Amino acid sequence: MVNLQAFLGLLPLLLKGAMNALQIALCTLVLASAGGLILAVLLTFSRSRLVHGAIACFIEWMRNVPALAHLFLIYFGLSYLGINLPAWLAAIVGLSLVGSAVLADTFRAGLQSLHVGQHEAGQAVGLHRLQILRYILLPQALRVALPAYANYVTQLIKDTSIASAIAVPEIMFLARNLVTSTFQTSLIYLAVMCIYAAMILPIGVGFIRLERHLRAAR
Amino acid sequence: MISFFQQYPEYWSDWFARLLLGARVSAELSLTGFALAAVLGALLAWAMKSPSVLLKRLAVFFIQGMRAVPLLALLLALYFTLPSLGLTLSGYWAGAIGLGLQGSAYVAEILRGGLDSLHRGQRESAIATGLTPLQAFTSVIFPQAIRGMLPPLLNAYVSILKDSSLCALIATDELMLAARAIASESFLPMHIFLLVGLFYFVIAFPLSLLSRVLEVRFSRGRKTIRG
Repeated sequence: MVNLQAFLGLLPLLLKGAMNALQIALCTLVLASAGGLILAVLLTFSRSRLVHGAIACFIEWMRNVPALAHLFLIYFGLSYLGINLPAWLAAIVGLSLVGSAVLADTFRAGLQSLHVGQHEAGQAVGLHRLQILRYILLPQALRVALPAYANYVTQLIKDTSIASAIAVPEIMFLARNLVTSTFQTSLIYLAVMCIYAAMILPIGVGFIRLERHLRAAR
Repeated sequence: MISFFQQYPEYWSDWFARLLLGARVSAELSLTGFALAAVLGALLAWAMKSPSVLLKRLAVFFIQGMRAVPLLALLLALYFTLPSLGLTLSGYWAGAIGLGLQGSAYVAEILRGGLDSLHRGQRESAIATGLTPLQAFTSVIFPQAIRGMLPPLLNAYVSILKDSSLCALIATDELMLAARAIASESFLPMHIFLLVGLFYFVIAFPLSLLSRVLEVRFSRGRKTIRG
């Protein structure tokens, strides 16, 4: 039933798509982590109501609207305003915005799980604010946030598939093209699912190892 | 800025009616998906609790598999490969089943976590007072466990609602497809996708908020019980 020859013929293109998906995921992860961290720090330390309100609005909008709507808004909507982003960049920007909202909540929960004394002790030994954050609070907060962060990373790799809707040549998009040209429908989708599982499962295992390692190091 | 918003009144009656129709389908689709996820998730949670090693392994394998595959791949597979096996699903049902299958993995984890959060003594003492295992579950275990499970279940529904937008890509006539159709007719994509975002937000945000309120209330209740 399964034509091995045909399968091996499809594989290189699908793997190329997988590489593209991983690149998008990696760029998004860097941007979303930075964005999430900045928002979380602002939410924890800023006393300005305006800052809190603006960040809360951003987070709620990003978390309660489908990612697909954000991608369409950025890709098709911005081009209406004369800003033409290439599809891959629109995907990275859209996923990063959603991701920074998700990670802002994750990191904030991590920061706020720490005792006030951690901050006060840092002040007492004469560290300034950024040093307290860098050397005392973040290492502990990130450890707390690690399981949720791991969830986000696996979710992100799956969400790159949404970028196929704006014609980013990642695995799902290439798979759909292959289906229309070869009609090997079930074979291709089976291969696609296996490739996603092969990307995601090792990452999950890696994060569990890391968690265990960090717990042992304490 | 003002001219941007001036477009809305002009097209409002047409857009609103069509998006509302789409929103109704989206709501139905996501509720059907959630119902399927709840039933299948309960079965999976039960399988994970069962003494049979085989059942447990199968449940874990299914859950891990579902969590490792993007919904879009699942939807396309259901919609395009099942016809070659002689089973043709409409976009709506392929979508509902895909949402249900993927959602069930998350629901199963929520249910299992909720049941595990109760102390073993709850069940043991219920049985010791002469309740049957079923009675112990329905009148002692479940009423306590549901408090912890309700907020994450609401979040799971919100996720399913948002994910239902992907069903537009298998030509289900829901909110996102309606928006795309309008956007390509009117050449006003920015207006439409902002509006459709608002439609999703109006449904999803109150539920997210409710989930958070319930979480705070239930955790407060628990503290007073424990003293």
